[in-house]
This record gives sequence, structure tokens and C-alpha cells, in this order.
Amino acid sequence: MSDRSVAHVTCLGCGCACDDITVVVQRGRVAEAQQACALGAAWFGDGRIPDEIRIRGHAGTLERAVAEATKVLTDAERPLVYLAGDISCEVQRDAVAIADRLRGAIDSLAGTAAAGLLAAQRRGRAGATLGELRQRADLVVFWGVDPGARYPRYGARYAVDAVGLATPAGRKSRRVIAVDVGDARGPADADGRVTIPPAAEVDALGAMRATVQGRLVRTDAPLGTAIALVHDLTKARYVALVADAEPGPTPSDPDRAEALIALAQALNGPTRCALSTLRGGGNRSGADAVLTWQTGFPFAVDFARGYPIYRPHAGAAERLARQEVDAALVIGAPATLPDGVAGGLARIPTVAIGPRASTAAWKPVVAVDTGVAGIHEGGTAFRMDDVPLPLRPALGSADVRSAAVTVRALRERLEGGA
Amino acid sequence: MTTPARLRLAGGTVYDPAHGVDGVVRDVCIEGGRIVAELPAGAPRLDVRGMVVMPGGVDIHAHVAGSSVNHARRLLPEEHTADPVPAPPLADGPPPRSGTGGTVPSTFATGYRYAGLGYTTAMEAAVAPLAARQAHAELDDTPLIDSGFFVLLGNDDYLLRQIAAGEAARARDYAAWLLGVTRAYAIKIVNPGGVAVWKDGGRNVGGLDDAIGSSAVTPRKILETLAGAANALALPHAVHIHCNNLGQAGNVATTLESMRALAGQRAHFTHLQFHSYGGERGKAWKSGARDVIEYVNGHPELSVDVGQVMFGPATTVTADGPVEHLLYASSGRKWVNVDTELETGCGIVPYSYREKAAVSALQWAVGLELFLLAKDPWRVVLSTDHPNGGTFLSYPELIRLLMDRAYRDGRLKGVNQRLLAGSALLDGLTREYTLGEIAIVTRAGPARLLGLSQKGHLGPGADADVTVYAPNGDRAKMFAAPRYVIKAGAIVVEEGQLRRAPAGARLAVRPDYDTAVTKDVKRFFDDYATVAFENYGAEP
Repeated sequence: MSDRSVAHVTCLGCGCACDDITVVVQRGRVAEAQQACALGAAWFGDGRIPDEIRIRGHAGTLERAVAEATKVLTDAERPLVYLAGDISCEVQRDAVAIADRLRGAIDSLAGTAAAGLLAAQRRGRAGATLGELRQRADLVVFWGVDPGARYPRYGARYAVDAVGLATPAGRKSRRVIAVDVGDARGPADADGRVTIPPAAEVDALGAMRATVQGRLVRTDAPLGTAIALVHDLTKARYVALVADAEPGPTPSDPDRAEALIALAQALNGPTRCALSTLRGGGNRSGADAVLTWQTGFPFAVDFARGYPIYRPHAGAAERLARQEVDAALVIGAPATLPDGVAGGLARIPTVAIGPRASTAAWKPVVAVDTGVAGIHEGGTAFRMDDVPLPLRPALGSADVRSAAVTVRALRERLEGGA
Repeated sequence: MTTPARLRLAGGTVYDPAHGVDGVVRDVCIEGGRIVAELPAGAPRLDVRGMVVMPGGVDIHAHVAGSSVNHARRLLPEEHTADPVPAPPLADGPPPRSGTGGTVPSTFATGYRYAGLGYTTAMEAAVAPLAARQAHAELDDTPLIDSGFFVLLGNDDYLLRQIAAGEAARARDYAAWLLGVTRAYAIKIVNPGGVAVWKDGGRNVGGLDDAIGSSAVTPRKILETLAGAANALALPHAVHIHCNNLGQAGNVATTLESMRALAGQRAHFTHLQFHSYGGERGKAWKSGARDVIEYVNGHPELSVDVGQVMFGPATTVTADGPVEHLLYASSGRKWVNVDTELETGCGIVPYSYREKAAVSALQWAVGLELFLLAKDPWRVVLSTDHPNGGTFLSYPELIRLLMDRAYRDGRLKGVNQRLLAGSALLDGLTREYTLGEIAIVTRAGPARLLGLSQKGHLGPGADADVTVYAPNGDRAKMFAAPRYVIKAGAIVVEEGQLRRAPAGARLAVRPDYDTAVTKDVKRFFDDYATVAFENYGAEP
């Protein structure tokens, strides 16, 4: 394979989905991912991945793997399909069809942000695409998150440094406030800083909202500093309120997501405000979008009755823990699985199709290695703000088995066999 | 039966208004997915004697796919839980899929339900160019209907810059480029300039001559630029306009001014009901339907769809962000707003129109007035702005309201009368639509206005999209359950049951333009966009 570089590549290392990466290919490997952050560079790696088909621990053909996978899944009474990371929307669409056909349950990595999704279903949300924050936000509030850690280029490309139509001086056109909630601290280089004890976080958000709405609130500690922040918020032209939707080391208050939404909504009146919820990578936002358009629900769907039923509190991890699942099909990279899901898979027969499936710690009955969406395979992926982007595989799919072709083969086998 | 390549629909009563056929008993012949003049005597026959035969329905304006619609779906788990759609028992072809309904159904359910109503073509009315790729993917998962979408223009920063600079030709080239790169079908304007003002921290625009940033940029100028572009590019469908001040008392003045601004030019004004209110903003509401429809009647270059309000649940979903913020503030319901970079907005509020609510009743009456006072059905299309005024599943009930005066008058008595003074409906409009007129406002008219020469008629060469209804004095029942639906020659509904769900075709345009514009657009992208120019759009 000839040396070359491929420009405008979309990285799925985190939910930022930066699409300005130039991937340099030398001797059939990724030599460099230019513009990528450390997280992105690690995601691209050198592009080498295993290429095995394992059936009960032994090498096998794709045809046999598909036949065996069909048997495992059709023998089950309560199969689970799980959409892990690093697959395209095109693969996700076929995977939902499989769950529908099997009358199984289906869940995805999008479920890691269940609290935020459920809050948005109760209240709606005031949001914006990331580029709108770039154009307009003159006040950026990082609520208990420093994007530098898990979303390294968020500040540079979107909310903080980039020049926008109404923010012609980039960083200098904006004020950045860090809200530290216990150990969850905002960026170190913020222009202002507010500290809120974790136990008071939801109360503080509620008091801020009440203040925005002109309702009388007590301004004594520990909420006083948060309430004082309202003045900055309402004075700004366009507020970006940035919070992490993915779980951190310590569980956050289950009411926090809704309180953040309520505050952002209330600020639209006195000023404009968008809540930007940070989401992880691997095209989990695509899984949310695809499940929503095909079933009406964003995650944790059960087809057991022949139509989609929403079980937001009985997602993959809960079902596995309660031993309500007797077989599973994992599509995507096993390495991206949340612990609660990976831990439950060892007890039941499983089929794994995706990047490095053969290395899955839980030892699938059938494992089929495929390429990584965005590195070896094309298609569509969604940024954390639901903007769809094309994937530009820098490495030829000729050397690597395609997840799209493999999953389609399994789908057709299942649909043909009933 | 499986679908034969040839089929004679024998002995039905045919309504084919494009050919002046108004309830004539004749055969309709189909071969290879098209209507043909004649078939050999031995060709397979479907006996449709005593039944009504029309072209497949054509929805000129509905919200069925794309990022805004999907945000709305995500917002409505309770509706989806309440309306499960099991996979239908199909005879052959692509395997069936389950889904959910409610006011914003899942994609497969959307296709099944359209076909179940005898509709075979639908246009998604508002797609942000940034998310065009998603809209195509969703339409790919929406079987049975041929579909396309209107791409949102009129609040995008690049276009407003060209208008500010007096670069009309470049604006036109930009519109043409955008249509092609997003694989769209027509240009849609939503609240020209108003969404841009809302995103920039203002409330909205008030009138056609409000300045938007630059004094050279006004709603009037945006309308003129894009209507001019659509006509200069000879697009099959005129520029599709959602006027300023949607849903405001007194907005009839803005609507008429917008129409006058484009006098003599081909233009389509959508969901006109929402733009036909008299009275004064913040004070009294009354019907302004008579003034608006009289203007439309007198201007053959204009076309409209009504956007009828139907009592019951709805979901308001629009690129008109500021309007949804007002509705959120007044209704207290849940609310989604998504400002979309450099282009447009998106607002969603679930809603319910109630007979006993004065404004709902007025909106219902205004829509019916527009229908009943319209002189030329070819230019006044049936729509509910699905799901804004009600879902497409309410079309049969709407048809009954139009065809059955006694039924309509009975319903009128049951609604809140407080704001109905001055409504022509109270004066006792006696008109009843005929089946021929229904065939115009639901298929022949919209097909012609969309420039779909293969649709909306049963002449040789037309797509073999045909609907067969069993006559019923209750027109709602008749139109809710066609006996047969034929899509591209395949019998998809048989004896009232969905039996096949083939994929639909995509309708898109690719106008020519001076490619010099793309260099300038790319520069703008490099300066401001967060998506690479090369990754923008929806080219395969």
C-alpha cells in the first residue's frame, strides 16, 4: 500500500469528533495523526488491529461464525444487543434491525449519560451546536468540568479560543468561569472561579434559577457565591454552560442534570444561553440518534413484545446484573464497554463483532474482528452535539474485515431464517 | 397475490384531475412501475368496480425526518410508549420493522402510516444543511414514500453577508451549490432574518423592513433574493416560505406584505393558517383569513398550503426558534431549543389544540375558512404542517370537514366561540369539496406545484402510485383506510392491509451554478465553521 496522507479525517476519540485531522499513512500504518490531541493520537494508534475469527476459542470462517452466531442468538429467549463504540451509524442501523428481529433488548454506550437524557425528556433543553458557541458565547461557564482532560480540543475548536462571528478576538472576546464542585474542578486558567460543595450543587442550581426568574432567594452561604454568579450570567450576551454528561469518578447527584437544564432554559429570557453537555467518543451520539429514529427512544429499548418498549432503568448493565439476559450480541469495540456491561457478559453466551472482538476479556462464543469506523471503515458518525459527519478511512478496508459487511451478513441470515 | 409486472385496475371510478377526469368509470393500466395507456386483454386484473381510484397522495409539507424531527422524537417517550407499532405482517420484500407512533412516529412507522393513508410521496419541509446527512439517513429508513426535503436558507450568515454586500448573483450561486451538496429538493425560508436575530441575542424581527445587522439586510431583501434565486435557477418547486410573525395576532399584515413583496414572482407560502390572524399583537385575536385568501385568489403566481389545526395532540417543531420560545413561555410545556451554527435554529414544544380553548378554535376556523374561500384548489394544498397543526393521520378527518357541511357545522357549534366573530365560517359557508377537488388538494395540486411531472396524475408515463378507496358516506372513514395502494407498480396495501414496504425514491435537484462561489464559501468555512468544507453536505 502506498504512502499517502488523508485530510479532513474525523476522529472518534471523544465526542468532539474533530474533523480536521490529517492522517499520514506509511507502509500501511498510521504514522501520524496531525492536529490530533493525545487522546486522538491514541485512538488512531498505528492502525494495526487483529484480524481473527474465533468460534469457541478456535479459528473459523466467517460463514461458520455467522451460522454459529445465529444459533446462539436464536436459541436465546432474552437476547441483548449492545452497541459499543467505534462503529458507524450504518452498522448501528443494521444492529437495531437485528434486535427488532430477535425481539431482544438493545442498549448502547449512549446509556452512560442516562441521567441527562432522562432529564431532557422531562424538561426539554436549551442547546446549540458547538459551532454556535464558537460564534456567539461571550461567557463560558465550565460547571464542574475541565474539558482538557476528556475532551482536549473542546476549548480550542469550539467554546473558548476559536474566533467567531460575534467573538472576533476568540479567547479575548470571552470570559471563562470555572465552577468547582468538590473534586470536579473547572479549568485552571479561568478568569473567574466559584466553589460549590457537592452536597449543595443542586440547591445552588435551583437558587440560581430562582434568582434569574426574579424570585426571592436567601443569599447566605453556601449558595451565596453561586447566586452572585447570576449577575455575570444575565449580563452576558450568550452564555455557554458546559457540563460533563459522562460519569466521573464520584457519582453526581441524580437531579443535577435536570437542574442544569432548568437553569439554562431560564436564562433564555434575560439573555441567551445554551447548555453544552459533553459526551464521550466512539459514535455513541450516533447510537442515540439511530435508536431514536428507528424506535422513538434513545437507549434501553426492549423489543420483547414485538415493538419497542422503553426501559430506561433496565439498560444493559441492569439486565445483566439481574441475569435477565441469556445471550448477547456486542457490536463495536469491547474495550469501550462500561464495566457494568463487560462484567456481566462472562456468564452468558455472547457474540462479539467489532474492532478487537477476539481480545474481549469475557471470552465470546463467537468473535469476529473488524475494522474501526473512521480508521478502516467509512460511514457516518455523530458529534456530541448531534452534528453528523462523514468518516474517511485512511487505511484501506481491503486488509481488514468490514463491520458493515459482517453485521449485514448476520442480519440477512437472521431475517432469512425466520 | 404477489405483484405482477402488469396490472389492470378494472372498472373503478377514476379521479384524475390533471387530465380532467372527474369520476369516470375506466381502467387504469400499469406496467413496469408506470402507468401505460393500454395492456393486452390477458393481463392480470384487479377488480375495483364501485371503488374510487386516485393518484397516490402527495404531501407538500410535513416534518418527518432530520435533526429537528429526531430531537422531537427523543422528547416524546410518553407518546411512543402509548402508541406501539408492531411489525406488520408483510407478504414479501424487505422484512417488516416495528416502531412507535404518537405525533412524531419512528421512521418505519412513518412510512407504513403514510402508505396506509394512500400517500406515496412526502416532502420533509425543513432541514438544516449542517444535518442533511442525517435527514437522508432517516428518509432511507422511511419506506414506501418517495421523499425529498427543503433545505433551510434565509437566516444563514453566509447568505446574509452576500445580501449585505449586494451580491445577488453570488447568493444565487450559493443557494444552488447548497441544494446540490445537501441533495435537497427546494429552498425553504423560515422567519427570514428572525432566527438570526434570535440567535444574536435579540427577540425576533417585527416587520419586513427591520434591519438584521446591516441595514441592507431585511426580511424583504431575504425574500426577494431567495425567491429570485429559485426562479432564476428554474427549480421545480418555488421558494417555500414560512413568513415572519408566525402565530401572532395581527400577523395578516406581515403575510400580505410578504406576498406583495414578491408580486409577480412564483412563490409558495406554507402553513398559511398560522399567518392569517387579524387583531392586535398581545391583545385581541380574530380571523384574517378572508383578506389573505382573497389576495391569493387574485394572484395566480402564488400557491399555499393551509397548515390546518386539528383538535388533539400535536408537536410544534420548527426552525423558528423565537416562536417556540414564546410558546414555551406561555404554555409552560417542555421545550427544546437548538441554535444551529451559521445557519438556522430549531425549537420544539409539545402542544394540544382544544375545542374549548379560544385560540385553538380560532386557528381551526381560520384554516377551514382558507380552504372554503379558496377559488383555485390547484394552488391551495391540504396540509396540517404535520405534526405542528396535527398529524398526517388527521387528514381523513380534515377531508370530512371539507366535504361534509352538516358535519362541519355540527363541529363548529361545539368549539369555543369567543374569538370567532368576523369569521366567514360563522356566516355559514355552504361549500362542500367534491371528490375531484379532494384529488386536487391532496395529490394533483401538490404534485404540480412541486414540479413532479411523474406524480399526482394517471396519464401514461406517470409513476404507478395509485390509491383505491371503497366509497363511504363518512369521508373520514373512507380516506383513513384505502382498500388498495399501489406504489411504483407494487401492491403495497391489499384489502386494507399493508403487505409490502419497498424503499421509496429520493427526490433531489442539482442546479447549475458558477463554481467560483465555492472558493468564497470555503474561505468562510475555514474562518468560522466547525465542520470542514470538505465534510459538509450529504454527498455519498
